[in-house]
Amino acid sequence: MRRKAGLILLALAVFFTALSPLLRWYVFPRVAKVPANQYQTMVLQAKNATLLDYSTMTSRTVPEVTVVQTLKGNVEAARKAGRTAGRDVVVWDGLSYAQGPNGEMVSSFPERYIFDAHSQEPVHVTGESVDGDPVQRHGIEFKWPFLTQKRDYEYFDAQARVTAPIHYKGTRNFRGLTVYYFEQTIPWTKVPYPRVMPVKGLTREWVAKTGTARWYTTVRRFWVEPVTGAPVYGEEIHREELRGGTLLGGRAKVTAFAGHVKMREDYIRSTVALVKHNRLPILLLTSYLPWGFLALGVCLLALSLCLEARGRRPDGPAPTETAEPEPVTA
Amino acid sequence: MRALVAAAIGLAAALAVVFALAAMGSPSGSTSPKPLLTTVPGHP
Repeated sequence: MRRKAGLILLALAVFFTALSPLLRWYVFPRVAKVPANQYQTMVLQAKNATLLDYSTMTSRTVPEVTVVQTLKGNVEAARKAGRTAGRDVVVWDGLSYAQGPNGEMVSSFPERYIFDAHSQEPVHVTGESVDGDPVQRHGIEFKWPFLTQKRDYEYFDAQARVTAPIHYKGTRNFRGLTVYYFEQTIPWTKVPYPRVMPVKGLTREWVAKTGTARWYTTVRRFWVEPVTGAPVYGEEIHREELRGGTLLGGRAKVTAFAGHVKMREDYIRSTVALVKHNRLPILLLTSYLPWGFLALGVCLLALSLCLEARGRRPDGPAPTETAEPEPVTA
Repeated sequence: MRALVAAAIGLAAALAVVFALAAMGSPSGSTSPKPLLTTVPGHP
């Protein structure tokens, strides 16, 4: 009976010990994926921003510019792209829509971002675009990979259509979460005019003909929760200028937009709550279950060996024979 | 010999579990009907 129990414990010990690395190195990369049907919105605000008034072509300070960012997973496009790429792919149709204090459109900037569902590496298939222009992204955008490392990453800047390093600048605590702080600076770069201009009837082709160019610089900051790779907070010090040409009436340059864009407080709270919730399944697969199963396996193995050893030991000392007393004759 | 068989059973069961978990994957669902926003939402 003891030997049978010992063998069952041995089988369980092997089961749990083998599960430990298999969960971490085999199951996790295949199961932890960004859902293809994700839909999320984000609201960012720039208080006391500088904005170009296109009717007078002069800059003015406005109390607030609001940016609404939507990311919508396109499941049908993801399936099609996945068949082409031969792996699980996520297709995000995104729109960054900025509006001024009176609700007027400041900019509308759509993009399609196609990436590997687990590693977040960009996948190059037809449809990848920024503001309607085909692009080939390199590096990450919007989200970091699961189990983000303390190192610099390549980050794609959609305005400039360039990839540049985003530097790891240290570990911080953000509202009870341990986060990695990243920062990227895009120096002044000439960028295309948006396809949809803020003034009706104005086209980017017409503006480009005036010889006036659009220049842009930004400092991008992200506080990234490393288990999920999700930014819990982000801000951008964003500046745009129009330079040269005949549009500015002899001036060398004029500020089109300047502002410190930050996430709105209610969105920060909801993002932090969501990320705290999403950490658990990742931690289960990468830490809690592998270490727990390894410890359980070792305990079961020890118990099984103990039972085996006791099963082999003799039951007790052999009875000693006592000689019967011989009758004594008188 | 019995110990080897028991260990092999444990290993096979572990492999069966992880293959089943990996094969299940995650459901992809369908594209959200919600639009790309051009108005400022009141709350998340």
